Amino acid sequence: MVEVRLEKVTKKFGRVIAVNKVDLVFEDGKFTVLLGPSGSGKSTLLYLVAGIYRPTSGKIFFDDKDVTNLPPRERNVGLVFQNYALYPHMTVYDNIAFPLRLRKEPPEKIDSKVHEVAKLLRIEELLDRFPSQLSGGQQQRVALARALVKEPSVLLLDEPLSNLDALLRLTIRAELKKLQQKLGITAIHVTHDQAEAMSMADKIAVIDQGTLQQVGTPEEVYLKPRNLFVATFIGNPPANTLTGSVQTVDGTVFVEVGSARYQLTEEVSKIVREAGVEKLVVAFRPEHAKIVESPLVDPEGDLVLEGDVYVVEPLGRENIVTLIVAGMPIKVVTPPDVKPHSSSKVYIVVPRNRVMLFDVETGLNIEFLIREIHQKIPD
Amino acid sequence: MRVRLNPAFLFLIPALTLILVFYVVPLILSVYIGFTPLQRWNLNRMGSITAYNFERLFYMMFHDPDFGKVIRTTIVFTAFTLAINVLGGLGLGLALYLMDEVLSLPYRILWLLPRMTPVAVYSLLWYYFFLGGEEGTLNSILLRLGVINEPLSWGTDPRLLPETAWVILILVNGFVGVSFGMIVFYSAFHSIPREQVVAARVDGATTSQIVRHVLIPQVRWHIVYVTVWQLLSLLTTFAHIFLLVEWGAVHRWWGSTWALYVFNVAFKTYEQGLAAAAATVLVIIGAILGLVALRILKFKEMMVEPKGEI
Ligand SMILES: Nc1ncnc2c1ncn2[C@@H]1O[C@H](COP(=O)(O)OP(=O)(O)OP(=O)(O)O)[C@@H](O)[C@H]1O
Ligand SMILES: [Mg+2]
Repeated sequence: MVEVRLEKVTKKFGRVIAVNKVDLVFEDGKFTVLLGPSGSGKSTLLYLVAGIYRPTSGKIFFDDKDVTNLPPRERNVGLVFQNYALYPHMTVYDNIAFPLRLRKEPPEKIDSKVHEVAKLLRIEELLDRFPSQLSGGQQQRVALARALVKEPSVLLLDEPLSNLDALLRLTIRAELKKLQQKLGITAIHVTHDQAEAMSMADKIAVIDQGTLQQVGTPEEVYLKPRNLFVATFIGNPPANTLTGSVQTVDGTVFVEVGSARYQLTEEVSKIVREAGVEKLVVAFRPEHAKIVESPLVDPEGDLVLEGDVYVVEPLGRENIVTLIVAGMPIKVVTPPDVKPHSSSKVYIVVPRNRVMLFDVETGLNIEFLIREIHQKIPD
Repeated sequence: MRVRLNPAFLFLIPALTLILVFYVVPLILSVYIGFTPLQRWNLNRMGSITAYNFERLFYMMFHDPDFGKVIRTTIVFTAFTLAINVLGGLGLGLALYLMDEVLSLPYRILWLLPRMTPVAVYSLLWYYFFLGGEEGTLNSILLRLGVINEPLSWGTDPRLLPETAWVILILVNGFVGVSFGMIVFYSAFHSIPREQVVAARVDGATTSQIVRHVLIPQVRWHIVYVTVWQLLSLLTTFAHIFLLVEWGAVHRWWGSTWALYVFNVAFKTYEQGLAAAAATVLVIIGAILGLVALRILKFKEMMVEPKGEI
């Protein structure tokens, strides 16, 4: 198995910059998910690793070996596609054997390898069939078998689950993760489904418009999004955002959101003052907020917002309450017994450690702004 | 009990009428005329039925040297032009598919030109190319290069016949027919999901391996289709050949195919009975060859339902 390292990799198609100066390490034996919306450059990045595309600039390493200019054949990667891309004129057996035959391996060895991988993926009884005679889930397994039979050093998965129905997707998601752990293979999995990314990944790399937004564990990306894009792309429903203006009263710095005031910490106040920030985006996750009937006497510096209930969606395990705060819709996930009446006035309380602040201009999380400023100006 | 007619049948009546009037009736009539001694449109002779025309045709095959030339020309012309049409079309379609889209469009148009050009204009170009005098394009090039010392009559010179006449026929028709296969195969290749090609590349296949193992096997049915279609149209084509013979660009017999012969017998020597018999034989040969081609290329296998559940 290998570690895959991208250094300042850029890929342009004519004037379109599909991948923009990406620095990224896919750790050895880990399951990394590339997460991003449609057209963000995920497939392009994967194809760069596979060697289908040459980068316009930058370098790609497998461990210490520079593979930037190596053809796909010399990289030993396995690739699985969203539409599986099985060869319709070959049986399942021939599909799986194809990469080995190209390598001119002896027939007995091919035969035993095909059966071994078929057993691993439980498709032994399908070997004589043609792809058109298989269900979507079965085709998916065959595609995976074809990628794994080569014993690749990297397994690349381009949205392999998105053609499956919701239930099957959940099953295969778990199976795929388990298989990867069992084989200990370096895996790069592309998806635009944030729930899939959260559930499968050791590491998530969020990408938007060809630019890397954040790399981190699912928890990091979820709880400490580096910028507004990550905060609002991940989570279902995504994080709530409200823009507020920065005010100073008697030396204390507040953000004013609607009728509410939220006091900033010393550290944040300093940054805000130094950078001359006038507006901040206050954000929080729907499940981190609570709905109460009356304002707390001592809010302990928590964020308290006044809102009108717009609609309540009961989902069984929980309810999603949509409220209007300062003219903006806000979603709060509540236990199933919390069902405020429509258009009643309620209060939303978000604990201090769950409130996220973003710079309006750069979209950067203030915490990261502090860190990135410190990094830029040492000592 | 009354037979209830499917109302959908009503909608088929116009099309069926057309087929009946312009295809079935002439076909039956043609076979029928083949069994009459019709000559010079003398319809009175249509009454008597005789197998004389077929006997005569059969006799001519072995004893009429001119008709023998026509038969040999037909076989050589059909076989070679068919090969050019199918293999050339496949090669061109493949080249276009593997080529950049920017290059492929002008290239496609270039190859479609012979088909878009009116038959007479296109044939005239070739006529001038192979013209016998010094002003013929080929002659003037070869003379200038010093390959030949005097202009040659390429399609008629007895020293060069029959091969040169055949080459001319094959070239002229080959360039027209090749674009059909090219278009069919090009679109067929494009309908194969691109990911299959990418997958094969990642698995280490070279371009030629991708062509052999991934692309060609998936256009098998298109190859069958183009082969049979071109075979049948080559057996009956005569517009270009007619003009070349008429203008004296090729030898009268070494440059004539069976289809043109039928035309000449019917409208030049006015032996309509014989012409109809020859046409009937051509249709039968075409049908047999078509079926044989389908058989060889395992057409049936492709049309069966897939086994098992989908
Ligand atoms: N071969 C190509 N030629 C030109 N532009 C391309 C090519 N491939 C991708 N692009 C462009 O590059 C950008 C990124 O495309 P890419 O396919 O990598 O997106 P993606 O993240 O995989 O999207 P999706 O989730 O829809 O698959 C898009 O704007 C796309 O139009
Ligand atoms: Mg994609």
